[in-house]
Parts: sequence; C-alpha cells; structure tokens
Amino acid sequence: MRTMIQLIHVSKQYDQRPALSDVTLEIDKGEFVLLMGPSGAGKSTLLRMLIGAERPDEGQIFVHQKNVTTLKPSDIPHLRRKVGTVFQDFRLLPKKSVFDNVALPLLVQGISSADIRRKVTEALRAVGVEHKRDQLPAGLSTGEQQRVCIARAIVNGPVVLLADEPTGNLDPVLTAEIIELFKLINARGTTVVVATHDPLVMAQVNRRVLTLSQGRLLPEHRVLV
Amino acid sequence: MRTLSYLLRESWVNMWTNRTTTMVAILTTAFTLACVGIFLLLYVNLRAAAGWLQDDIKIMVYLDDRLASDSVTEVEQNLRGDRAVASLLFISKEQALGEFKAQFPSESHLLDGLGQNPLPASFVVALSPSFRSPDAVMRWADRVRQVAGVSKVDYNQDWIDALATVIRSIELVAIGIGVILSAAAVTIIANTIRLTLFARREEIAILRLIGATTSFIRIPYLLEGAVLGALGSTLSLVMLKFMYELFRQQMRTTGRFAGLDNLMAFFPPSVCVALIAVGMGLGFAGSFVSIRRFGEAKA
Repeated sequence: MRTMIQLIHVSKQYDQRPALSDVTLEIDKGEFVLLMGPSGAGKSTLLRMLIGAERPDEGQIFVHQKNVTTLKPSDIPHLRRKVGTVFQDFRLLPKKSVFDNVALPLLVQGISSADIRRKVTEALRAVGVEHKRDQLPAGLSTGEQQRVCIARAIVNGPVVLLADEPTGNLDPVLTAEIIELFKLINARGTTVVVATHDPLVMAQVNRRVLTLSQGRLLPEHRVLV
Repeated sequence: MRTLSYLLRESWVNMWTNRTTTMVAILTTAFTLACVGIFLLLYVNLRAAAGWLQDDIKIMVYLDDRLASDSVTEVEQNLRGDRAVASLLFISKEQALGEFKAQFPSESHLLDGLGQNPLPASFVVALSPSFRSPDAVMRWADRVRQVAGVSKVDYNQDWIDALATVIRSIELVAIGIGVILSAAAVTIIANTIRLTLFARREEIAILRLIGATTSFIRIPYLLEGAVLGALGSTLSLVMLKFMYELFRQQMRTTGRFAGLDNLMAFFPPSVCVALIAVGMGLGFAGSFVSIRRFGEAKA
C-alpha cells in the first residue's frame, strides 16, 4: 500500500459554520505535503482529524490503513504513537527538562530506561539540541524550543509527522532551518504534512501543495523539485 | 519500571506543587472523617453496652415434674450440645424453693400449705451472641419446647425486642451520619483534585496528543486522591485518639460516671487500619469523580 493518508468526502461543521466541506485527498507514503490556506481555512481541523482529536460529521479518514473515523477512544492513543505532531506554540512542559519532554512519548508506552536514553539522545542529536538536554524550555530560544518539539514528535519513529504552523513564531532564518529539518526527516522515509499560511515556507519546500479555502480543497498544483 | 516511577513522581509533584491546597484538603478531610469517627466510636461503645445488656438475657427452661433424674441429665446434655447455648445453670426443685423463700419471705407460708414443693426444676440458659436477636431467641425457644421433658420455656420477649430496636436505631443513625459525612469527604477531595486537574490541563492535553492512554493520565491523580484520603483518615484517628484520652481523663478527674471510663474503648488496631483503608478508598473515589467530570473529550 502506497497511500499513507486518505480523506474521502470529509465534512465538518462548527455551529452551522463549515470548517471542512467535502474534502477528498490522498497522501502517499514518504510524501512531503504542504497544506496551505489562510487562517480559518480548515487546516488545523484537518490535522486534528488525522490524530482523532476531532471526528468528521461526514466522510472517512484513513491513516496508515486505519480508519480513524471508526476508531474506539481506547485505540486513539495507539494511533497517536504512530503520528508525530509539531505545534506552532511548541507545547512543551515548562517544568520538565528538554530530555524529559522528549522522553514523554516513550514513557507513556512503557519503554525501558536504556531505550529511552538512547532514543532521546538520537532525536536531540538529529535536531541539533543535544547540548541543551538538561535545560528547561524557558531557557531556550524559540528556534530551539521548536527543535525540541520536533525531537519529541520524531522520537517514536512515527510513520507520519504533522506540523501545524510550525514556523508561525519563527523569523525567516529559523524558518529555513526548521524546514530543512523537516526535509531531513522526510528523506528518512517519514511522511510529512506541514500546515502553513506562510508563502516563504512554500518557496522553501517546493513540493506538493494542497490548498484549503473556507473549508474546501482547491485544485492542487504540484511543484516538482 | 521507569513508567511506574514517573507516575509516582507525578503524584508527589502534584501534591508538592499545590501543597497549600493539599494541606487544606488533608485537614478538612481529617475533620470530616473525625466527625464520622466520633459517631463510629459512640456506636462501637453503645453497641458494646448493648452487648453487656444482652448478656443478662436469661431463658428459663422448666422441666416436667415427673422427669426422672436420668432424663434430666439427658435434657442437660441435649442443651449443652446446642451451639446456640453459651452457658447453662441447673436449678433443682429444692434450690428453686430456697430461692423463692429467700426472695419472698413473707409469701413462703403459701407454699407450706401445699404439702409438696410445686416449683419445677429448671435450666437457666444464656445464648451465644449470634443467637440473641428476637427472631433467633423465639426460634430457639420454640425448638426447645419440643424437647421431651421440657414443660415450659420462658423469657422476656419485650425486653429483647426493645434492646434490638435500640441497637438497630444506633446502627441506622451511625450509617446515616457515616454516609453523609463520607460523601462530604469525597466532595472535598474531588474539589482538590479538580483544582490540580485545572492547573495541569495543558499538560494533560499534551499527554493525550503524544499517545498517553487514559489510565496513564489518570493514575497520578487517583494516587494523589488515595494518598490525601489515607493521610486525612490517619490524621482524623490521631485527633480522635487525643479527644478520647482527654475525655477519659476528664471523667476520671471530675469523678462523674465512676467506672464508666474503664468500660469505654477506642478502636482496635484492625478497625484503625480499616478506617485508613476507607479514607484511602474515599480519596480514590473523589479523585475518580473529578477525573470523570474533567472529561475525556478534550484532546
């Protein structure tokens, strides 16, 4: 199976206001896709649906051959262990060190201490903040915090990495660095979906672009590298 | 192992971070459970007092006047073999007459005129504690009436009924107050945990997003509730013991209710352990209620 993510006629409304309307799309395994659109276009809703945080009113969603729309609540944590998530506001635990923040996804799975140490060290090295492992998030720059957030998202070795406006709080130089990091992660075989409204990101990524406008998916254009 | 130590550490961090709230919760739980404890202590002591009164309930088993001495021995063996019988005392016809004369000296001439002793021999029976309820006494008496050689079984049914009613009333009041105050303890702990949950809602949301199961998220809060309940109930026992000793000392110094202070008793160790376990359970329940209300829907 080549398809990693599939949405079939997905619709969602909030208070009679459509957030997504009849969205159908497919993303293949190993693809790097940009999900573009202005604020309120439905990008975050779509990403939240992919991790089972929202249920569509209509349609079906498949991630890694699992029908997310019919998953039992008790199965959702297992889906989320396969899908790493990166947030605009990083969402790091302020009272935990960088190491402990990155270790969390492994800890919730009951992985051994030795494996946790090894995997966290690898993830921190991959994003270039290994030397900050004992610091608290407040002592890091915004770029470093985003790197820690990415390390936490990839520490499990997820099949999909979702990023919701990951460069929203970063300057152009840091944005470029983070995008390079996503490209590296993608090059290792992880499917990457980045939701953004930043044209700078689109220029740097230069890959497939899906555009949402008022909850509808516009005809797509594919940029070849 | 690391997961377990993480969960325990999280519980401790929760309590330490919100130590003022934790202390207030422990103290209020302790006061509430101490109120339950006062009523429980009263109940235990009144129940014991009722038990002493029940010890005084004696059943008279009168024997047929024509019964040969061999048959008397047979009835006695029959009664001694009965598991409901705690103690047995034989009163011969002569002893009965002697007691009558001793108790009613002015009436003794009435019996002299009869020529022979009209009083029957009897057994004075005390029943075991588990056979002292009104129904059990009645069933036992009915059964013994059927025994060959027994002419009559006599006891004070009204007294047994009244005592049973008193004991049942004490039990009902104790249960009622216990339930109400236990619900109060659950509410107090539930509110404390709710504050913690509210303070850590962002952390909980993050844990959910990275794939933590519901039980992984819940365990630290359930542990926290159980610890709060256990500490609250332990403190309540310490307070109760202090009040109990103070009360006994007061009774001794004032000299009122002489001897009653020796009959009073505090909870035995097994009951103390059970009360701490109950406190732990109430804390666990309070925490569970809060977590349920906090909701699983928030991603």
